[in-house]
Amino acid sequence: MLPKFDILTNEEVNKIHENTMRILSEIGVEFEFEPAVEVLKKNGQKVDGNRVYFDRDFIEEMIEKAPSQFILHARNPENNLVVGDDSIIFMPGYGAPFIHTVDGERRDATMDDYNKIVKLAGASKNFQMTGGNVVEPTDIPDEIRHLEMSYSHIINSDKCYMGSSTGYERAMDTIKIAGILHGGMDVIKEKPALVCLINSLTPLKYDQRMLGALMAYAETGQAMVIASLVMAGSTGPATMAGALSLQNAEVLAGIVLAQCISPGTPVIYGSTSAITDMSSGALSIGNPEGSLFTSASAQLARFYGVPCRGGGGLTDAKITDGQAGYESMMVLLTTSLTGVHFVMHAAGILQYFMAMSYEKLMMDDEIAGMILRYLKGFDMSSDEKMAFDVIKKVGPGGHFLTQKHTRKNFKEEFFMPALSNRGAFDTWHDEKIEINQAAEKKWQKVLENYKAPELDANVKAKIEQFIEKRKSELI
Amino acid sequence: MSTIFEEIKACIIDGDDELAVELAEKVIAEKINPVDAVHQGFIKGIEEVGAAWTSGEAFLPDVMMAADAMKAGMDVLEPALANCDKGDASDNKGSIVIGTVKGDIHDIGKNILSALLTAAKFKVYDIGTDQSPENFVKKADEVGAYVLAASALLTTTMKSQKEIVDYLEENNIRDKYYLIVGGGPTSQHWADEIGADGWAETTEEAIKVISNLMVNKPIED
Repeated sequence: MLPKFDILTNEEVNKIHENTMRILSEIGVEFEFEPAVEVLKKNGQKVDGNRVYFDRDFIEEMIEKAPSQFILHARNPENNLVVGDDSIIFMPGYGAPFIHTVDGERRDATMDDYNKIVKLAGASKNFQMTGGNVVEPTDIPDEIRHLEMSYSHIINSDKCYMGSSTGYERAMDTIKIAGILHGGMDVIKEKPALVCLINSLTPLKYDQRMLGALMAYAETGQAMVIASLVMAGSTGPATMAGALSLQNAEVLAGIVLAQCISPGTPVIYGSTSAITDMSSGALSIGNPEGSLFTSASAQLARFYGVPCRGGGGLTDAKITDGQAGYESMMVLLTTSLTGVHFVMHAAGILQYFMAMSYEKLMMDDEIAGMILRYLKGFDMSSDEKMAFDVIKKVGPGGHFLTQKHTRKNFKEEFFMPALSNRGAFDTWHDEKIEINQAAEKKWQKVLENYKAPELDANVKAKIEQFIEKRKSELI
Repeated sequence: MSTIFEEIKACIIDGDDELAVELAEKVIAEKINPVDAVHQGFIKGIEEVGAAWTSGEAFLPDVMMAADAMKAGMDVLEPALANCDKGDASDNKGSIVIGTVKGDIHDIGKNILSALLTAAKFKVYDIGTDQSPENFVKKADEVGAYVLAASALLTTTMKSQKEIVDYLEENNIRDKYYLIVGGGPTSQHWADEIGADGWAETTEEAIKVISNLMVNKPIED
């Protein structure tokens, strides 16, 4: 792996930390969920209504308790993942209500889209997880969406996936399903199998839904991303340093709460902070400022000794075009170089998280592959890799195309594109296929050829039974 | 006289709400015609900001702060204006009740639209976040508005927009109001599905939709 790029000096990290501690102790954070306030009160924090003022020594003490890395368990142990250290985990986008089609139209996302995206993520060697909430399946009643989504991840792939975070009850349903999949709640308590996304409500709030879910995951020993999305200029200050401090305060407050509930519970420091488009007020994510927030977040997570979530293949473009490509590459590359471990939204996202696109998913798959290759850096582990002998053999003026050394090594050393066109002009000119069209053909072919890994019939039946029972109770 | 109007205009453009209050108080203290102060001061200022925003020269903080200053000044003038017999002194294009629906506490989009509607010379009554259908209607009746604008950011709270339609229908008052909906996960398709009267993705479109609705009042009771 490449060394991780530090965007901040140590002095700058300390400045952000100090500013954060002042925010947490002097301004405080509001928790709109009585049990959460109670937990913090019991732990000696100053409480005024829903507002909690944190003690800085206490914050540091609780953050110490969070593990610097942990293993997330998949139903196929070959797909278990280390979260932290040198790992990097890519997965599709999260939560988009719309699909943008290849011809630039928009429609509501459905359960059929959900299954297809999970399969595409399952098929790709560049995605280590199938993600969670990969689109909002708007054709499924809200009350039971979480059940259908978990089921989709389980039957369409054997990689790790994410659970629900929409309130305590739904979170617990998806944790119980993971429990059945892995052979019991006690099994997953020891070996976390599910991770969810807890978001603050910027500035300086957590809502009831998220806090309920946070408590469910912490109680059962499951992992969670605790993330803040500061929109600099609207939900946060327009200065980068101010917005970063605000984000840091919110994330640390969430981590402290999780550690109070269950010391040592695995948490991931999350950031999707970006800027506001100051003409429309919309979020804008495919930009250098977003990359700066992501990079600094990775460094802050290292400073606090917890894994980091951030960035992705992020863009404000509406279709899989040049803007989608250059914005996504910038954000995903900086995400990866600065040491983010857990990359939600690595693929498929268009228009600042509002939409998913199959074509974009394929383009981002390619980008992810390029970056994973880049991260491997140079291999200098053997004389063969240094290639002195073959350079000597060919000597001045020869070529390497017919050397065994070349034939053996090029596939290991070179990234092999699945989508990019490296051909000559004339061949391209015959059809003039642009990336959007090429990507459409690609995903259709991948889906056609995909075979989901088999799931034990007994386990499958138990999960289906649980889901049916919950459905009848919820609707 | 023209100086104070110029000052009012400038302070709206600057988005200085404290100065706007001060100048409004001065208008009253010096017995200047409040209707003239509105037309030649406040409205001139907000018009200029609105035009600059439309042409891309001004940004949201400029417009929103101007709208706040406008509101602060107008609140001071309101009693004096009520005593004037010059009729529609504020020259407003109509009243709108705006809020975020029940269960949802996101308000940035709503706040932006409120400010831009103010800049476009509508009278905006913002009832805040997490608001029940009853509250929308109650406010509308109180201020005599017939356009309700309901915002939702979450896929899980969109259904509260439908609950407003249900509430209006259950109380047999559906045809007394126009309901427009908006927010990240909403769409024209959604608006049609729940039977809303309008939808817009951006503030520019929302202002157009509302302006078109304002042309004809719904059925009077």
